[in-house]
Formats: sequence, structure tokens, C-alpha cells
Amino acid sequence: MLVIKNFSKSYSKGRKAVDNLSLEVSGGDIFGFIGHNGAGKTTTIRAIVGVMTFEEGDILIDGVSIKKDPVSCKKAIAYIPDNPDLYEHLTGIEYLNFIGDIYEVDKSDRKTLIEKYAEAFSITGNLGDSIASYSHGMKQKLAITAALIHRPKLLVLDEPFVGLDPKASYTLKTIMADLCKDGSAIFFSTHVLEVAEKLCNKIAIIKDGKLVASGTTQEVKGNHSLEDVFLELIDEEK
Amino acid sequence: MDKVIHLIRMQIGAILIDMLSIGNFGTKKSKESGYGGLVLFVIIMSGVSFMYSIMIAGGLEVFNSLEILPPLFMAFTSLTSLITTIFKVKGTIFGFRDYDMVMSLPISTAGIVASRVFFLYAINMVFAAIIMIPALLVYGVMAQPGILFVLNSIVTLFFIPLVPIILASVLGTVIAYVASKFRYRNFFQIVLSLLLFVGFMLLSINTGDTGQKIAQMSRILTEKINAYYPLAALYTKAVIHYDVTAMLSFIGISVLTFLLYTIGIGRCFKWLNTKMLTGITGMKFKMEELKTNSPFSALFRKEMKRFFTTPTYVLNTGFGVILLTLGAVALLFITSPLADLLNLHFKIEELLSMPQFAGMLGDFAPVAISFFMIMSSTTMASISLEGKQLWILKSLPVSIKTIFRAKIAFNLAIVSPILVDTVIISFALNYDLFQGLLILLMAVVYALFISMFGLLVNLKFPNFHWTSETIVVKQSAASMVCVFAGMGIVFVQYACVYVIPDKALAHLIWIGLVAAADFILYRMLHTYGMQRFLEL
Repeated sequence: MLVIKNFSKSYSKGRKAVDNLSLEVSGGDIFGFIGHNGAGKTTTIRAIVGVMTFEEGDILIDGVSIKKDPVSCKKAIAYIPDNPDLYEHLTGIEYLNFIGDIYEVDKSDRKTLIEKYAEAFSITGNLGDSIASYSHGMKQKLAITAALIHRPKLLVLDEPFVGLDPKASYTLKTIMADLCKDGSAIFFSTHVLEVAEKLCNKIAIIKDGKLVASGTTQEVKGNHSLEDVFLELIDEEK
Repeated sequence: MDKVIHLIRMQIGAILIDMLSIGNFGTKKSKESGYGGLVLFVIIMSGVSFMYSIMIAGGLEVFNSLEILPPLFMAFTSLTSLITTIFKVKGTIFGFRDYDMVMSLPISTAGIVASRVFFLYAINMVFAAIIMIPALLVYGVMAQPGILFVLNSIVTLFFIPLVPIILASVLGTVIAYVASKFRYRNFFQIVLSLLLFVGFMLLSINTGDTGQKIAQMSRILTEKINAYYPLAALYTKAVIHYDVTAMLSFIGISVLTFLLYTIGIGRCFKWLNTKMLTGITGMKFKMEELKTNSPFSALFRKEMKRFFTTPTYVLNTGFGVILLTLGAVALLFITSPLADLLNLHFKIEELLSMPQFAGMLGDFAPVAISFFMIMSSTTMASISLEGKQLWILKSLPVSIKTIFRAKIAFNLAIVSPILVDTVIISFALNYDLFQGLLILLMAVVYALFISMFGLLVNLKFPNFHWTSETIVVKQSAASMVCVFAGMGIVFVQYACVYVIPDKALAHLIWIGLVAAADFILYRMLHTYGMQRFLEL
């Protein structure tokens, strides 16, 4: 579903934010991408979803290069950034309809899925309100709902549990598991190692732009906790 | 006091960054670019003011009425402050996006209010200086007044914007407060603001003797201004007649009302901001039948919603369209038998009956259409207004071409009434078919030009870190480039039409040139524009 091949991204003055990253995410995977602040997680995610251009390497979504055919790739992806700034001049339902129109979700499907996910996240009553009046958590829930209504094959989330209340976090985890059972893949970054350990079947650890560990959760953590493994890897070169 | 000064410096720095779309003002190069851009802006605007001052002074001098120049420009400065500040109140004094952050600082509310009000004053003072200093210099050189003129005009200069700021702030606040009571507050704000401006226009229509010469017209205008705005009379006495009492009264009234206003605002600052920054919620939502649209249509509707929920965007870019439409309809009415039937006559009929004036109007009407068209670009701010939501557009499965087309299509929709206006004007001025087609074609090529040019300029000078839409729509690098370039283009068009004896040929040549420019802009959007969007 997602193949990252030798991806590198440099900013000005030659500083490499990500250096020669390669990994694969298959259908049914819940892939956790963890690293310290500034490690290159968001840069990688932004490149995957086509928000950011890059020169070195390639990223394939369902076999299609994001560089060569970004529109086709984006049709298969749903992206939720860490801080979901949404169109504040729209109401919740207007935003959902907007996303539905862009992804060409048909009318009946759209209504069913909006009702389902809005109810699951308890935001149905707020859909008529302007997004400007939403709290951070409500915006997050709306962004997740919008991401799910077009049944993405690859769900990419950047720190999805930040700002969500416990019930919403539980709901999101349940939805993620259901999506994977249906063959979709999930790729998300997080600082919450316990969640990654419990939820993910595969994990990658990135440090200063380089991949330092990758594989199934069991392979990566072995007999230790993920936290211990993470801290050891991050401290290694100090 | 130190904290308030720090706050003011931070706000001015933020405005400079916003205006000049400089991402990192901390670097030496960015600072130099920023200040350089600002200096260039001041030079150009001052040059325009000089030009107008010399033109008007020349006319006034012929009829021994040069003393009207300073108060005339003072009135113009006051009116400019008044009109522009009404737009700025929401976003500067109230409803600014970093309200939470600023109010959480260990600075008193009074201090914060003082900083916001001073900030508004500083912006207006820059424009007052740009307009007034050239006019005062021209008067000084031509009239050779004494040293007292110099002293009085310098001192009074600092007080000119005070009362207009207060008036505009009160009006702007009332409009914003009334609108906040309604669910569709932005729509109401737009409607109320438009009603206010149309009211201004109707009140200021001078149905006096328009057939008189410039000096007499200026005298009548000055008398009218003094009647509506007594401070202008005090200013005249202070600066031209060196009346000390008048000067002290002018300064005293300005300062006192400003202080009273600042204190008043301080009392209701938190309450009004809470009202304006809180959305209306709690409406019971019921899922209704959903309507689907194409991706292009969805993007177009998003642009439309953005436009109509941003009052400053509507008033800044739509105002020219509204003004021209009102003017075209008024012209049609005045020249129609209906005016006779209702026994309504306007002095402008006298002008229209003069072959010279009627001919001039007919020859230069296409230039006027071009001017209104060039002032109506929504695309010059449409990329910047994506703001922190740009990630949405960039992650959606739509091509960049579709995104551009939606933005351009929306601009074209907004200016489309001008096409109808050209037909109305053609009827009103008794154009033949050829003239009518020329003016219509002029509108079409300019509509395409301003839509594509605005988009390219905004791609080149985007600004995603604004805290108020006013900055993006009115004070950003993109909006200034578009406005000044547009004015320059229309000025060259005017010069061409003036110089070339065959006016129809002049218009035809100009239509050809703008159409060629449209083709170049189209190609640029497909190459540079698309690459630039990817880099954002």
C-alpha cells in the first residue's frame, strides 16, 4: 500500500531533515512511526500525502508514484495533521460535504458515513455550527470524520491522539482496527509509546532523520518495553 | 509603559512582516528587504500625492484660490482615514486573532487597548503624512507663506487622523456589534457597511453648480466639508490664517475626544471581544438531504463562502463593482425619459448636454471601466487567505489547475456585473454597435487579466501567517503590487487614448495588448504558477 524508497529531504543550507528513509506498509497494517521532536516524522508524513515536494527517492501509494501522479495517490489517502486547521468560515457539515464532493463520494454513502462517524465522535449536534466555534478536540474529531467518509485505503495521521478525550481516543482506535480488517492501512506518528505498542503491528523509529529500527512490533521491542528500546536507541550516539 | 511600548513594537513588526510577506524578519537580509520595500512604497505614494497636489494647486492658483489646497487635502486625508479605518476596526481593536495570547500577557487591559489604538493611529499617521506633506510642500513653494505656516502645519499634522479614527472606530464597532447578534454575522456586517457607504455617497453627491470652474468647485466643496466636519474649518484658520485659538481648539478637541474614546473602549474591550470572537453555537442540527457537487464546483463554492464571510474582502474588492453598477444605473436613469416623467433633473445633465464633455465621457468611459475592473481582484488575496489551511488544498485529490480555475472563475463571477454595466453605459451614452462592442471587449480582457494577474502575484508574494484578513486583503505585498501595477496600467491606457487621435483605434490597440497579456499570463500560470504552488 505504501512504499517509501530512499526518501531524503533537505532544507536550506543543506540540512537533511530526512536521510535515505525506506519502509513498507501493507494493507491491514497499523504502522507506528515514532521519534523524538524534530526527528523528521512530520516531514516524512507531509511527503507521503503530497503536501511537500521532495527530490530524492520516491513514494508509492498502491504502486503509483506520488511524484508522477499525485492526484491518483491522494484519492487513496486520507490525511489528518497534528494540528487540524480547518476552514473556519464553513460549518461542520459544509466542510464534510466539501470533502465528500472533492473525493466524489456518492450521496447515500456520504450521508450514512457522516451520520455513523459524527455519532461515534459525538459531534452530530455541532455539525450546524461554524468551525470557528469548535474547540481543538472538536476540530480533530471533524477532521477524522472527514477523513473516513471517503473510505481511504491509506489513513495517514500525525499525532492523532493529541487533544482527543479518552472516549474519542478509544473510538479512533476501534475505527482504526476496523479499517485494517477491511484491508486499509494506517500510518501514524505518535509520542505516546504505550498506544503504539498496543495498537501497532509494525513500528519504525526515526532519529535525526535516519531510520534506526523497523519491523514488527515484536521484532523492534523484543523482550523489553518499547519505551526502553526507544530511549536506548535515541541515547545511543550521545 | 515599557510593556505597552514593547507590545506596539511587536505589533508594528508583525504588520511589516505581514505586509511585505517576509517569513523571517529576524535575519538581516529580511529586515533590509522589508524596510526597502516600505521605503519604495512611501516614495511611490508620495510621488502620486505630489503629482495631484501640483495639478490641483496649478488650477487653484489661476483663480487666486491657492489657500484652499491644505484644507482640501486635510479633508481628503480625514476622509481616507475614516473610510479605511472602518474596515480595520474588526481585526485591529476588536476580533483580532491573537487576542487570547495578548490578553494573557501581564499587561493591563488599558495598556493593551492603548497599544491597539496607538497602532491604528500609527498606520493612519503614515498615510496622513504621505498625503499631506507633499501638498503642504507644494503650497509652501507656491504661496511662500511665513514660518508660522511651517510650524502650524507640522504641529497640526499629527492630530489630523485622530477624530476620523474615532468616528470610524465607533461606526465600525457598532456595525460589528450589531452583526455579532446574528448567526450570519459576516453577511450582516457586509450589508450594514455597504448601506453606510451608499449613504455616504448619496449625502456627498454635489448637486451644486458643476459647470463652474475648478476654484469655485473647490470653494464650494471646502464650504461643504467645513459644514459637515467643523474641525476642517479650525484647521484652515490655524494653518492658513495662523489663528492660535483655532489651533489650540483643533488640537484640544482632537486629543480630548481621542482620550475619551480610548477610555470608553477600555471599559468594553473584553466584553466586545468576547462577543465578536465567540461563534454562535447551540443551534440544533438536523441532517438533511445532502447535495453533491463536482470537485470544481466544491472549490468554487468554498471560494464563494470565503468571500462572503469576510467583510473586508467583500468591501475591498466588491466595492468597485457596486459603485460602477450604481453609477451605470444612475446614468441610464438620468439620460432616460423617466427622469423627465418624474421631473427629476440633475446638474450632470448640463454636463452631458455639452458636446465636449459628452464626447470626452464617451471616449474615456472604457478607461473608467478598466479602472473599476482592475480594482476588483479577488485572486490577489485568495492564495494567502488559505492561511494555515493550505494543507487541505495540497492534500486533496484535485489538480492544481482545477484549484486555479476555481479561484479565477470566482473572480470572473464577481466582476461579471461590470459586463452588464458596459451594456447599460452603452445605452446611456448612445454608443453605436461598434463602440458598445469595444467597451464590452475591454471589460472582458480586463476581467481575465485581473483574475490571472492577481493569482500570479499572490503566488509570488503569499502570506499565510496573518492574524487579520484585513492585512492580506488590503496591506499585503500582493495586494499593493496588484493595485499599483493596475493603476499604472490604466494610467498608460489613459495616456494612449489621450494621445492617439482615433479613440476607437486606441481602444482596439489596447484591447489587443491586454488580450496578448492574458495569453502570456495563462501560460505563466501553467508553468511558473503551478511550480510555485507546489513549493508553498
